[in-house]
Amino acid sequence: MSTHQKYIIPPRAAEKLLRLIYDDEMLDDILGDLQEMFQDRAQSKGLFRARMHYFKDAFLSIRNYDLRRKRKVIQNNSIAMFKNYIKTTFRTLAKNQVYSALNIFGLALGIAACLFIAQYVSYEYSYDKFHSNHENLYRVKYMVYRGGELDIDCAAAVPRVGPFMKENMPEVVDFARAFPISGVFEKDNRQFREKRVQIADPAFLKIFDYPLIHGDVETALEGPNKVVITESIANKYFGRTDVVGEDINLYTWIEAKLEITGVTADVPNNSHLKYNFLISYETLNNQTRNDDGTASSETAWGWYDFNTYVLLKEGTDPKAYDEKFAEILYEERGEDFEKYDFKAEFPLQPIIDIHLYSNLLQESEPAEQGDGDTVFFLSIIAAFILIIAWINYINLSTAKSLERAKEVGVRKSMGAYKKQLVNQFLTESFVLNLIALLLAVIVVIITTPFFGQLVDSQISRAFFLQSNFWLAVAGIYVLGSFLSGLYPAFILSSFRPIQVLKGKMTTNKSGILLRRALVVFQFAASITLIAGTIIVYQQLSHMKKLDVGFDMTDTMVIRGPQVFAVDSLFGSALSSFENELKNNPNVESVTNSSNVPGDEIFWTRGMRNQEDTQDKNFIVYLVGVDHDYFPTYGIEFLAGRNYDKSFSADTANIIINKATMESLKISSPEEAIGKKINLSGDKGTIIGVVDNYRQQSVKNSINPLVFPLAENSSSFITVKLKTGEYQAAYEDGKSIFDNFFPGNPFDTFFLDDFYNKQYANEQNFSRAFTLFAFFAIIVACLGLFGLTSFTALQRTKEIGIRKVLGADVSQIVMILSREFLILIAIANIISWPLVYLIMDGWLNNFTSRIAIGVSVFIISALLVVLIALIAVGNKTLSIAKTNPIRALRYE
Amino acid sequence: MKGNNLGEFEELILLTVASLAKDAYAVSVKEELETRAKRVTNISAIHSSLYRLEDKGFLISEFGGATQKRGGKKKRFFQVTSAGFVVLREAKELKEDFYKTIPQLAIIHI
Repeated sequence: MSTHQKYIIPPRAAEKLLRLIYDDEMLDDILGDLQEMFQDRAQSKGLFRARMHYFKDAFLSIRNYDLRRKRKVIQNNSIAMFKNYIKTTFRTLAKNQVYSALNIFGLALGIAACLFIAQYVSYEYSYDKFHSNHENLYRVKYMVYRGGELDIDCAAAVPRVGPFMKENMPEVVDFARAFPISGVFEKDNRQFREKRVQIADPAFLKIFDYPLIHGDVETALEGPNKVVITESIANKYFGRTDVVGEDINLYTWIEAKLEITGVTADVPNNSHLKYNFLISYETLNNQTRNDDGTASSETAWGWYDFNTYVLLKEGTDPKAYDEKFAEILYEERGEDFEKYDFKAEFPLQPIIDIHLYSNLLQESEPAEQGDGDTVFFLSIIAAFILIIAWINYINLSTAKSLERAKEVGVRKSMGAYKKQLVNQFLTESFVLNLIALLLAVIVVIITTPFFGQLVDSQISRAFFLQSNFWLAVAGIYVLGSFLSGLYPAFILSSFRPIQVLKGKMTTNKSGILLRRALVVFQFAASITLIAGTIIVYQQLSHMKKLDVGFDMTDTMVIRGPQVFAVDSLFGSALSSFENELKNNPNVESVTNSSNVPGDEIFWTRGMRNQEDTQDKNFIVYLVGVDHDYFPTYGIEFLAGRNYDKSFSADTANIIINKATMESLKISSPEEAIGKKINLSGDKGTIIGVVDNYRQQSVKNSINPLVFPLAENSSSFITVKLKTGEYQAAYEDGKSIFDNFFPGNPFDTFFLDDFYNKQYANEQNFSRAFTLFAFFAIIVACLGLFGLTSFTALQRTKEIGIRKVLGADVSQIVMILSREFLILIAIANIISWPLVYLIMDGWLNNFTSRIAIGVSVFIISALLVVLIALIAVGNKTLSIAKTNPIRALRYE
Repeated sequence: MKGNNLGEFEELILLTVASLAKDAYAVSVKEELETRAKRVTNISAIHSSLYRLEDKGFLISEFGGATQKRGGKKKRFFQVTSAGFVVLREAKELKEDFYKTIPQLAIIHI
């Protein structure tokens, strides 16, 4: 090793790399060794190989990065400092209790609101994701175009399409149909009316994840008269769950003794398709056999009651599938399409989209359908509330900076680095955020069930067991601590110690501007929420007040009996039952019908003028009624007459609503009387036209309705009561009912409750909106409260001087509040167009909507001003009243 | 006690440092290992062993001898501590102990 070697400069890049990893002391040490070796190698092996070796050595040295860490801890005392930061944080908190409380409370409220919404939103998005096949499962929609216009857009398809797809599309792994019915089930003379009864294909249990507790998944739904039930149904009828092999009787339009072949766990709440009973598909086929042995529940192309699901091969593109299937369908059905001038489509819909992005006819759980827009909307609100809360922290901390300035000054003159001060204030932010977070999580965990009730969601505490929740919490925490802590930390740490200690604090212009911008943002968000709440509320009450065109007060509805011994006697039993009911002094009238207002009609047919050709057919919805239907509901006749018991020919006559009349291209109700129509082959004469009434809520459009006379409609018996004597009418009704229809459950509801349930979604939305608007405003006010103190403190001397010169309290309050009033005015101007844009879009979802009035803006503006004045007023007053001597004595 | 365990490579390093006496620093240790034990290693492995042995208290280090060849950077010289010598001796005795108990027969067979 000669000392007279020429020194060759080693590659810089490797040195840079090592600089990233090691601190100076270690670097010298290690780099020295590397360089020494480099020099030697350059001599003996040539420059190129020396360089390569050098790089290799540097690169391999990365693995020793942790040697540095161990040394660094010993070297500088940051752990000890961190302890000190935490200590000072708690001292500061204890010293400024009001300020700390404001800060923590505001943050906790914001985080809690955000977690609530996160919970709700993630639940809504979780629908149907529990099926392991969910990415390849699709529902087959049914769409019919007539004359180029979309006529039917339906969630349930026709029975033939499932098998047809399986036969012709190699992409289809399997398919399953589910046909919903309702009926009475009986076991050991105990009867219950059951909803959520699905007639399902054998593959149903295979493509979906509804695991069987008892029974064999391969064979459970094979063959006729088999049924699979859920655990809770098994317990309800048998008191135990191992009931495979037992029988249960079904009474509806299918009467059958069903053998239980399987028991599944209860259907998870976040499923768009729910069942209590799954009846084997063969059971239905046996009921619909044609003379040639085929079943129309296998072959029909027009009976659209069948939710059809297909499982596609991994990676199939649904769009391409749709196009390909349209061609194949045309080969099969094109002739009919041409002949009758219509077109049917069966596009695929991913099942995970059904809950939030589908609003079709015949949804499986129409009342539960979510709304993707609302959910998205709520997420935005959550983000806003959180941001408002963070802004609060920023504002309050910077507002507090004057008081902290001395501390900073002293620390700095004692030798604290800026970096250390930043760390100190960030530590404070992390500690405060942590306390707020813990508080929020506790509040959320405790109040989750109440929140679930409020928004009528099935969210439960199980949510807290999910890792996603805690990930969100951690994310909010870290992000929030940094976002809210960074700005104050830099402001506070940038104070110049000499100026601070001399007592000359200047506030910088850009800081004030930023604070003002943040306040404006907070208030714009609050105003938007308030105005939004008002509009949602107005729309809701508008819908409820809207004339629905029928009378639903004091109306009790009994669900019709479904268990009866001999069919032919049902008619007379029903009329005797009704007559006895009418004898009750409380009862004004009684009518039976196939539907009542507020429920979805599944009975549809094609209709046209008798002289027209078949291609003029349009879809009408049928409600079977008796003679008393229109008087009982107070539905007005525009022309013609009601069905009359003295006309036996009325069975061939027909009553329609105005919408049907318009679809028939008849210009006036009077003209319609006597017109001959064709209703899917049945001929009839129009004898009456009734005014349009809202069969369904104002969210739906008014459909063409036809009311055939069906005296024995057994679905609903409507009882109009004279007074509010519900209890007596109920008990009387029950005893008569039990007399006439033994073995049937007596099942009643009040029509107004039933009808208004259609607005449940909007109601939940309104409640959630109000709650979160309230949260946002409180949080924003907390911020304002802190900020006023700040401004007032800053202007203490100015106020002192003004007072000495003779200003009175009211003038000073005015001076102090003026700034905030200006900020609120700006916030108003920003939020108005926002409110208009967002809410106008929302209102457009309704067929009957309110206009957004000026009053909304005035009310929300006044409300915010009022709230702000209350927040500002208290502090301002106390300062305005202070003795000016105290403010001025240091001068 | 984990601290008293000596890996095979560590033991080698420790021995090297001991034999180099006052001149033990990473590069010289590496060279000594190559010439005496025919072990070719990367300098980073030497570094991590040296520092780990220092953490365990078997070595101490001090700075000295900056040369131009090193870009003006100082060398970190290592010395074996008394604890280091103790473990070296223990390791040696342990091995000797085992050698003594190996049956002579086995050796003959080989």
